[in-house]
Amino acid sequence: MTSSADHLPGRADPADGAERDGIERDGIERDRAVVTAPAAGTPEEPADGRTAARGAGHRPRRRLWHTNWYAYLFVAPSLFGVFAFLLLPLLIVLGLSLFHWELLSSPSFAGLANYRRLGGDGETWHSVWVTVLFVLLSIPAQTVLGLLLALLLNQRVKGVAFYRALFVVPWMATPIVMGLVWTWIFDPRDGALNKLLGVAGVSGPDWLTDPSWALPSVALVNVWQYSGYTMLFFLAGLQGIPQELYDAAATDGASPVQRFFQITLPLLNPTTFFVTVTNLVGAFQIFDTVYAMTDGGPSGSTEVLNFRIYETAFRQFDFGYASTLAALLFLLILAVTLAQVRFFAKRTTYDLS
Amino acid sequence: MVKRTALYVTLVAGAFVSVFPYLLVALTALKTPRQLSGTEPWEPGLPPTFANLDRVMHSGFAGYLGNTLLMTAALTAGQLVFTTFAAYAFARLRFRGRDVLFWLYVATMMVPSAVTMIPLFLIMRELHLVNTWWGLLAPYLLGTPYGIFLMRQFFRALPAGLEDAARIDGAGPLTILLRIVLPLSRPALGTLAIITVISSWNNFMWPLIITSGDDTRVVTVGIAGLKGSIGVDPNQMTAAALIALVPMVAVFVAFQRYIVRSVVLTGLK
Repeated sequence: MTSSADHLPGRADPADGAERDGIERDGIERDRAVVTAPAAGTPEEPADGRTAARGAGHRPRRRLWHTNWYAYLFVAPSLFGVFAFLLLPLLIVLGLSLFHWELLSSPSFAGLANYRRLGGDGETWHSVWVTVLFVLLSIPAQTVLGLLLALLLNQRVKGVAFYRALFVVPWMATPIVMGLVWTWIFDPRDGALNKLLGVAGVSGPDWLTDPSWALPSVALVNVWQYSGYTMLFFLAGLQGIPQELYDAAATDGASPVQRFFQITLPLLNPTTFFVTVTNLVGAFQIFDTVYAMTDGGPSGSTEVLNFRIYETAFRQFDFGYASTLAALLFLLILAVTLAQVRFFAKRTTYDLS
Repeated sequence: MVKRTALYVTLVAGAFVSVFPYLLVALTALKTPRQLSGTEPWEPGLPPTFANLDRVMHSGFAGYLGNTLLMTAALTAGQLVFTTFAAYAFARLRFRGRDVLFWLYVATMMVPSAVTMIPLFLIMRELHLVNTWWGLLAPYLLGTPYGIFLMRQFFRALPAGLEDAARIDGAGPLTILLRIVLPLSRPALGTLAIITVISSWNNFMWPLIITSGDDTRVVTVGIAGLKGSIGVDPNQMTAAALIALVPMVAVFVAFQRYIVRSVVLTGLK
């Protein structure tokens, strides 16, 4: 099972590819073996125009370029899903953000009133700030920790597979369940953390009820959950860097620190990009952990934007304004993702294939 | 030598922190309330008791577990079937609008799920599907753009010769897909199945919003309901957590190497 996974996309063997070129048909161009992960920003277009032109001399090929009616049957269910449950909702959310609508009354058009309200809504901007703070508390920590763990595991360690597996276990933990478990670990009196600190002679704070500790505690759980996941990608990235580069640098007298900053880090750029984009998009939408651990409190110190959207819609039933907040979250995530694309696009990436 | 030791100490410490909450769940779920107050959290309670698990199962969790299993099975089956068909069409069939549609699919992968919760709820409300199985399943039953993207990449990397040979022998598209392509696609289907099983099992926000009765309540929502105003009862909470976590841990142990590979290949989260 494991060995056959080698044939998953992104791992295509170059020799395999050369062979495939010979039997390419229907003008469908062979995919370049790129990282499949979509967030890595490679929505490559099938270059049909080009291949069609190339096959222009072959009459039979051209004749094949007709529409297969059954293709629509194949696509129809998922197409319905994409329209009904992704595109339509997106349009609805943007549309509803222009309405006043508290579920029991009927919606009334409000123009930009919700957005004007948003401008002066200090609590929402506080939520945005809390969200950004949460991201800043968790993303750098889990990226650095993930990279460190990967560097450690990349040193010809005995039992790599074993450690790697244990580090990944938190990633698949049900967030709402682990949120409750961590709430108990953080319990000031009976929790494992303060009892452990007590053994060391330290009296721990009231983690989740102290406004200055609550958000870092929630962020810590996020770091716990996703550092191992981040490590996996860095480890794969590290293993793709050819040893000769390090050997050559060592011959030239580069110190280990220089080698890390001049070789390792630049060559990991695509991995770093992918990992930070996915982790950021996830962190901006954090909900389950907050729901389980703090319910937005104490005194709003963990009230992240997604939690506020939930409260506005499903506890206050103000669906119009909640849609405005959802539109804000959408724009925030979009802006941050695009900023990252630009940031990493400016940096050179090296093709090692 | 010192360096080596430090390396292993760090790794062991990291591994311990990773699994500690799981250990705590297992230890606490098997303690009596008396043992709970008489021991440190990291000590086992002897002899272990199954009373907490028994109590939690009888307080509704047997049903919630059944619902989670049903939801996970339905969503995984739906994802595998509909994703396979759509991805195959995008990878190998020619039809008008294919490229535009595929571009659209890729674009929708950028829509955060948090943003679509409100409108999805409103759509289900309009269709009178709130608090029904259809409402719970529908948004995720027809395959996700992400899964389609993944499978399409895989199909395109398969050699086309076999399919061509089958076509010359007079096989129709359905036969080719089912008899030739799918048997070659086990690794990709396995990856897709694992992504879907884990994300369905862990799903919380949508079930929380769309369901309210015991008939459709899943484990995640059931556990969230244990959180009272005066805090949680650790025995009860960890017993419920054990029920929620054990199946996923079992899946992980069984497919460990495979899952690790799938994560790297797909970036599933």
